[in-house]
Amino acid sequence: MRLPWLACLVFGSVLTPTLLTAGNEDPELNVNSRYTVETVIVSGDGWSTNLAADHDQKISSGLRSEITALIGSKLNPAVLDDLAVRLRREFQARAVNHRLLRGTTPESVRVVFEITQKPARFDVSVPKFLYANRQGWTGAVESTTTVHHNAFTVGLVSDGDDLAERYTGLLARYENTRLGTDRVHLRFDFDDYHEQWNGATRTDLAVPPDETSGIYRSRRNYEPAVIFVLARPLTLSVGASFQSFQEETPGTPVGAANAVVSRLDYQHRMEDSDYRQGIDAGYSLRAGTRVLGSDFAYARQRLNFRYTLTHGKHVLKEEVQAGLLTGRAPLFERYVGGNSTVMRGWDKYEINPFGGNRIVANSVDYRYGIFQVFYDTGAVWDAGQAAPIRHSVGIGLRQASLFLAIAFPLREGRADPVFLMGMNY
Amino acid sequence: MTASFDGDDLHVTAPQLHFLSGKSLSRLQDGAAVTFLSQLTIFGDNRGTVWRHAHERLTVSYDVWEEKFSVVLGSANRRVSRLTATAAEAWCLDNLAISALGLSPERPFWLRLELRTADPKDLSTLMGDPGISISGLIEIFSRKPGAGDEPWMLNAGPLRLSGLPRTLGHGTRKG
Repeated sequence: MRLPWLACLVFGSVLTPTLLTAGNEDPELNVNSRYTVETVIVSGDGWSTNLAADHDQKISSGLRSEITALIGSKLNPAVLDDLAVRLRREFQARAVNHRLLRGTTPESVRVVFEITQKPARFDVSVPKFLYANRQGWTGAVESTTTVHHNAFTVGLVSDGDDLAERYTGLLARYENTRLGTDRVHLRFDFDDYHEQWNGATRTDLAVPPDETSGIYRSRRNYEPAVIFVLARPLTLSVGASFQSFQEETPGTPVGAANAVVSRLDYQHRMEDSDYRQGIDAGYSLRAGTRVLGSDFAYARQRLNFRYTLTHGKHVLKEEVQAGLLTGRAPLFERYVGGNSTVMRGWDKYEINPFGGNRIVANSVDYRYGIFQVFYDTGAVWDAGQAAPIRHSVGIGLRQASLFLAIAFPLREGRADPVFLMGMNY
Repeated sequence: MTASFDGDDLHVTAPQLHFLSGKSLSRLQDGAAVTFLSQLTIFGDNRGTVWRHAHERLTVSYDVWEEKFSVVLGSANRRVSRLTATAAEAWCLDNLAISALGLSPERPFWLRLELRTADPKDLSTLMGDPGISISGLIEIFSRKPGAGDEPWMLNAGPLRLSGLPRTLGHGTRKG
């Protein structure tokens, strides 16, 4: 030890009661602790958010609440140090520094947290994982390497839940989160899947109806898109999807479903001391057009709205979805009900073996702590046919993104429940 | 560096020493408090034999509204506010003292002042749930000083008590 005297002083310092209780910095030692925090700004590489005004999703809800709680109280430098450490963990940042600026009114200060990201990061995630006793396993794993504003993702997926088909294969994605400005992102998706089909679907599609394609054994998708952050909670994505698929019938030429794709998303969070509310709304349009060399001309529109109200351990969630598909579209564009998110409890192969071109669905979830009950209703049908409305109820346990549930279709006769278990649904 | 004697303690002045500068000054102007650790040492011969040490902790902060410095000496038992950088530096040195008890008036001695910043992060890494981190201590004292965070060291001597200017008693006495 080169400087033993320094060790003595440091020991002496950290062992004093004030420092033991106040973290890194005793408020009494900093002359600025007499000032009131006017606002808190968190800024990263090319972005910033004012906690007094913005409610964006960059910072987790719990941490955001704690940072927001600084506003209006006397400055406590030790708390700033602790929050900087937590921000650093949450953003996996290289460093988080904080500084004070004069407020707009005398005796007030603005706190600025500056996040310095690591030049390169590597993450592995499981964006979805599900077991349903009727559909089997669904899972995806992705690894993302981020270099500055560029994220490169590769992953594997096997999904028997989303669509009428089970698609298994790999995905790759490139995303630039700052195309000149942090309000413009560039994204490029590539998917390569092989398909498996349920017996009921095969039977129903023995003679494909006019409004959709036949069964295919593989498909490949290239999808470039530009995302515009129109306003903090509102984003618009515009791009194109070039999807080709090989039908199972030998000698059939490769089909193409090339479409213009766009999506508008709105997210808003409102918080006060007792209640937290969230609104998520989206509208998407996929328009297959022969201008892009597509064999299918169609327009697929989908609208979704979700409202979440949280009060202590109580969480109430209401979600509405509606979809309209016109023209002749391939099977993967058709709507599906009776899976893990829409009309839970029903068997999708029993009610719509190859989906429908219309959907209306509603879902109400109530949670208290880890306990959950839900009620789903909705219909998936084809234009010109009857739209049977189906209902289901379920109970379960949910902790963070993990859930375990059993759902019952409400119908006469025997009710075969569906068991669901997974995460990120 | 020059020294003075108040009859009990030795004091130092160093008008050319500006430790409120560089990275420390940036941190202060960002609203953080910066802790400086000081050591005064009396050597009995030409920097070979240590006669006595005196340690002190000085915590400096910068008022973002008044643009003045505030200093707390030790564990908040003495503090001063609304100083310029130069005045704050002078106040810090003025309040460092080391006892001259037992030092004969004609005996030559040497005096050294060392000053170093203590990073608050270092203090936090030393303290965890299980207690003091020995590995944290080793890491801190093994680390080379960063730019603008260098330790300052000033020497004076040979000196004799009889030859030092006499001042009125002031400051704190350690050692």
